[in-house]
Amino acid sequence: MDIITGFADVLTPKILMWIAIGVTIGYLVGALPGLGKATGVAVSIPLTFYLHPVAALGMLIGIAKGSAAGSAVSAILINTPGEPASAPTALDGYPLARQGKAQKALKMGLYASVIGDFLSTLVLIFLAAPLASYALLIGPVELCAILLFSLTFIGGLSGRSLIKGLIAAAFGVFFATVGIEPETFVPRLTFGLLELDDGIKLVPMAIGMLAVAEMIAQAGNLKALDAEFEQIKDGTAHEDRVILRSEWRRCIPVILRGTFIGSVVGILPGLGASVGSFLSYAATRKASKTPEKFGTGMIEGIAAAESADNAVVPSSLVPLFALGIPGSVIAAILIAAFILHGLTPGPLMFKQQPRLVADVYAAMLCASLIMLIIGSVGQRLFAMVIRVPLRLIIPGVLLLCSIGAYLETSTVFSIWVMLFFTGLGLLSRKLDFSFVTFLIGFVIGPNLELSFRQSIQILNHDPANLIHHPIAMAFGFLTLGTIWWVGRGHSPVVAAPTSATRNSREEEA
Amino acid sequence: MRRADVISGVILAVFGLITLFIIIPWQIEPGPAGYMSPRLVPVLMMVLITGLSVLLAIRNLASDAAPGDEPPLFTWAEMLAIVKIATVFAVAIALYFWVSPAVSGGALVAGSLIALGERRPWVIVAMPAGLLITVWLLFYKVLGTAIV
Repeated sequence: MDIITGFADVLTPKILMWIAIGVTIGYLVGALPGLGKATGVAVSIPLTFYLHPVAALGMLIGIAKGSAAGSAVSAILINTPGEPASAPTALDGYPLARQGKAQKALKMGLYASVIGDFLSTLVLIFLAAPLASYALLIGPVELCAILLFSLTFIGGLSGRSLIKGLIAAAFGVFFATVGIEPETFVPRLTFGLLELDDGIKLVPMAIGMLAVAEMIAQAGNLKALDAEFEQIKDGTAHEDRVILRSEWRRCIPVILRGTFIGSVVGILPGLGASVGSFLSYAATRKASKTPEKFGTGMIEGIAAAESADNAVVPSSLVPLFALGIPGSVIAAILIAAFILHGLTPGPLMFKQQPRLVADVYAAMLCASLIMLIIGSVGQRLFAMVIRVPLRLIIPGVLLLCSIGAYLETSTVFSIWVMLFFTGLGLLSRKLDFSFVTFLIGFVIGPNLELSFRQSIQILNHDPANLIHHPIAMAFGFLTLGTIWWVGRGHSPVVAAPTSATRNSREEEA
Repeated sequence: MRRADVISGVILAVFGLITLFIIIPWQIEPGPAGYMSPRLVPVLMMVLITGLSVLLAIRNLASDAAPGDEPPLFTWAEMLAIVKIATVFAVAIALYFWVSPAVSGGALVAGSLIALGERRPWVIVAMPAGLLITVWLLFYKVLGTAIV
């Protein structure tokens, strides 16, 4: 894999334009309360069907990165994070905006986001390939154990209840079994519908669960959101609009710590950006000489939260690239896009598609820099966009969702699938069943089933033969340990404090 | 006790049993001899779901929390939004079959605008038209493909 070749492929006007479009869409999507990066990517995948693979993947990565940064805009200006992970940004960003220092807060949010994102992308580049070389040594028994562990870990940590998390994961795997069984060619749970022979498509499912369900939830909360838009004000003094040198000196170590925390949290499956940003915020407050001032407009609070939030996005791709296991909902959705454009995430991709991997890495690094340019230039525009009432945004999003779902199969059946999973998504939000775990269970379901079947044959139908597979045994014990640990109430899930995204906090996981 | 958890636990357990004993045998054949059954993983997942659902209901029945102070699962505004959006989708899908996809798309946007409280006629007319033209430009001109 040669990153220089990657840059040679990516540094063309056309590819850079699509990355810039992705970042801009992402920024807008992130800035609008309730529309997270997963929603943005899920809705946009069908738009990339007709693009060159590098342009398509660059655009989708741009959306993911842009929305992570854009979510700070609404958190700072209207105290309503675009995504739950920006909730700690609102703790100090909103007071700064109320003091007339919105521009300063927005700038720090952008710079911290870009630095966190860029450094975390480097972590991904340097970590994924070496890890993947180890992953190539594992067999089906070990893979099955690792997948089970990941699913349990995510199920335990992405919601408030381990039982509900495991139920959601099991449902995800169950829905993944719909369609023709590849070994015996027996149709499973298709109810005679030919459209289901190929299984349920991820894109309409994800659009329904994430985007349409969220739009309906927001439609029931319009009045509260509209009231927040009235509070925005802007200062006129120069020092209120720029970041001073003394503030940079205080914030650089905070950003580096936030990047480190975000990168580590991103690599661990299931923890998500919310945990990263809250941990970083808490660590910064603890390290501060004036912790009592946090929550009143400390710029370090924004730097801590945004650097960690954005560092989670690239590093959450480490388990996906190295092991083929999506550790977050954004990774789960990106799998569909990667496969669609000829790159199957997993350890083999570094050997089979080194050039495309290099292109993706180069596109990710370019997206960080483009994010800086677009964020700086368009900050005022994005601040204006969030003043658009949601009742004007929701209809457009619903149209895009419907087109996106429709394009997957070019039949109305996809719309029915989308609506079915919209209902399921709404119920899972209200009943606190993790739809993140559901989606990840659905994505890894086929791999889990295949490796499980192979394991049964390799173990000769005798679990005692596991003794010859120490790695699988270790992950088996880790799974049991996770169940025990989380079952005793050690889940680190952190709730977002604001109303608009309360129900969607786990989209971040 | 959290009433919603108890009820969802019971409903999921019943769903699991129905799936295990009726739907899976009805919808998945046993498979040819010598192969591992295609029912294996669906059955395992349903056993897991049923067991965990029973556990969820029992644990919440046994908890000390009083059931009276629970907020309703859906607020009145949320239920209204669900009904309105569902109606708009139903009308749009009917128009897709009876008239054309473009009219269906326009109805989806205009219907949701009205359902969400927009009353300015020019917005209700201009927004669907603008969005449909944008979509047409994006797919047919920029991406060079058709929505079929």
